[in-house]
Amino acid sequence: MFAMRKIRWGKYIFLMLVAGFVLVPMFATVLGGFKSLGELRTNPFGLPDVWEFEYYAQVFADGSIWLLMKNSLIIAFFSVLLTLIIGTMTAFTFSHIKFAGYKYIYNYFLIGMMFPAAAAILPLFLKIRDLGLLDSLSGVVIPQVAFGLGFSILLFRSFFEQLPSELFDAARVDGCSYIKFYWHVILPLSTPILATVGVFVLVASWNNYLLPLLVLNTEQQYPWTLGIMQYRGEYGIEWNRILAYVTVTITPAIVFFLFAQKYIVEGLTGGAVKG
Amino acid sequence: MASVEFKHIEKIYPGNVHTVKDFNLKINDGEFIVFLGPSGCGKSTTLRMLAGLEDISGGEILINNKVVNDLEPIERDIAMVFQSYALYPHMSVYQNIAFALKLAGLSKSEIEEKVRPVADMLQLTPLLDRKPRALSGGQRQRVAMGRAMVRTPEVFLFDEPLSNLDAKLRNSMRTEIKTLHKKIKKTTIYVTHDQVEAMTLADRIVILRDGKVEQVGTPREIYHSPANKFVAGFIGSPAMNFIPVELAKDEGWHVDIAGQKLNLLGDVDDNQTDTKATLGIRPCDIHITPDLLTNPLVIKGTVENLELLGSTIQLTSRLGDSQITVEAPSSHMVNEDEVTNFYIDESRLHLFSDQTGLSMYKPNAVLE
Ligand SMILES: Nc1ncnc2c1ncn2[C@@H]1O[C@H](COP(=O)(O)OP(=O)(O)OP(=O)(O)O)[C@@H](O)[C@H]1O
Ligand SMILES: [Mg+2]
Repeated sequence: MFAMRKIRWGKYIFLMLVAGFVLVPMFATVLGGFKSLGELRTNPFGLPDVWEFEYYAQVFADGSIWLLMKNSLIIAFFSVLLTLIIGTMTAFTFSHIKFAGYKYIYNYFLIGMMFPAAAAILPLFLKIRDLGLLDSLSGVVIPQVAFGLGFSILLFRSFFEQLPSELFDAARVDGCSYIKFYWHVILPLSTPILATVGVFVLVASWNNYLLPLLVLNTEQQYPWTLGIMQYRGEYGIEWNRILAYVTVTITPAIVFFLFAQKYIVEGLTGGAVKG
Repeated sequence: MASVEFKHIEKIYPGNVHTVKDFNLKINDGEFIVFLGPSGCGKSTTLRMLAGLEDISGGEILINNKVVNDLEPIERDIAMVFQSYALYPHMSVYQNIAFALKLAGLSKSEIEEKVRPVADMLQLTPLLDRKPRALSGGQRQRVAMGRAMVRTPEVFLFDEPLSNLDAKLRNSMRTEIKTLHKKIKKTTIYVTHDQVEAMTLADRIVILRDGKVEQVGTPREIYHSPANKFVAGFIGSPAMNFIPVELAKDEGWHVDIAGQKLNLLGDVDDNQTDTKATLGIRPCDIHITPDLLTNPLVIKGTVENLELLGSTIQLTSRLGDSQITVEAPSSHMVNEDEVTNFYIDESRLHLFSDQTGLSMYKPNAVLE
């Protein structure tokens, strides 16, 4: 009994430590935007003595952030959309249609997962240039989708294969073609896994720095990750402004995560209980 | 109106698994056919080939005298009920039943017109808005049936539709299926490995083993005149007693069991050169009183084991070297270790060749 309680406490402490690692910097960031520079130096983590709203106000007043956010949002939206559409369709094919050599093609997709984007910088740049996509948002979206595809196909396929095969038989007897089955049955049943993959792709896209840096040249096209570097260049030592800026830019990703979280939890435990 | 015909159907799965071998069967319009056989004998495979869910490796399947080998399931005018029901989990009961109609492009009002009576007939009307996970096993089963019925297909296929239900519900659903078939009179093929279901539902039973047809016949034929030793042993519970015997002839054919002569009063297949055979006697054809029997063979034996099953008792004893099971009404008084007389009904004997396993004897009084 005593040992059990000890283990439980051990667990709590461990979880609190982990949560602390994530939450402390995050709160420090959010609160930092409300502090004066002097206070930030003496009291980096605590609540501000004096709440200063001007730094946040300035971030919003400087119109550039809206454009940056809009670009980030467009890139993220299309990355998520394309990854979900292409990923589910490909995974559906692999889980339901056995054609000659499908194993090789499947593994070919999965190899993409082991490939860090950073290692492919040069060939990627050349390819994007050859395709004439330099300095366009699609030049960022398409490689992001390509890199995310391996992992999403893996997740989608294992999810689809858990669906009972008699479901497909029943649907065929009812008159479903592959496409109709995909549309009427597979997709509605896949919301948990769609949300899971969607969040992963969105967060990765939202925080991507390297690829936009590589592809985009004009400021009109910059997402916030590039924008913040410029901002930092302007206000190099004014950390309170930068913290306020960071807070504003990561908010959409967090909001989306909270929204999708309920489905994700369902997705990770969904197959565990026979329903 | 739909007849179904299997002509020399073969199924070979990848990896050279020969699952169905030369399957031939003609099913008449409106008939209720049951495929019965042990697990893995190819019942589902045969059914799925008819449904169009599985490729046919050889032979032809005809529905209404039209070859359907290359048709999609939807073009074959069949409906199927699956063992796991395979309801769409994200759709309500109504949507589940209506799905096929929706795919067929019917209008909302047409769909409603067709779904309502089916739901009424299956007592699903109060449940139409529920999702499958909020239904009991029996209700899910009925939704699966509703989904099949709403399309008014020519042929109904059932793959072990009751095997997920508890015993009581299974009995009532069985009756329901029987009633439904009487009402709508559609050709039905029903797969099961439960012989009670087969005996009660079928117009004709098809007994399968290892992908081959062992016998096709009415429940009575199958029970009273099994074509071979496998069918004899498979049908009937408790299983038929098998006793190795030597076949001999003086005035007539007879066999010797436990030192006594048992006359074979019916027709023995004279073409058999083999004298080694297996005698088959059902447990209910060995009696412990001579009532109602004319001229039975009397054999003394010790009751080795006795079980009271309710209305009947089941006891084991010995006949020569073989153990036998006897079933008798529980009103009879016998005790374990008691020596008693067993009366064997000579008109209810079965005899199987040891070489071929085929039946080689027809008793005079065949009950058809
Ligand atoms: N896709 C497949 N690939 C290879 N072999 C298969 C496949 N499907 C079924 N089989 C084999 O074919 C045989 C018959 O299977 P089938 O499902 O028709 O049996 P069944 O008579 O319906 O048995 P049960 O009563 O257990 O449902 C089995 O031995 C099975 O292992
Ligand atoms: Mg089966």
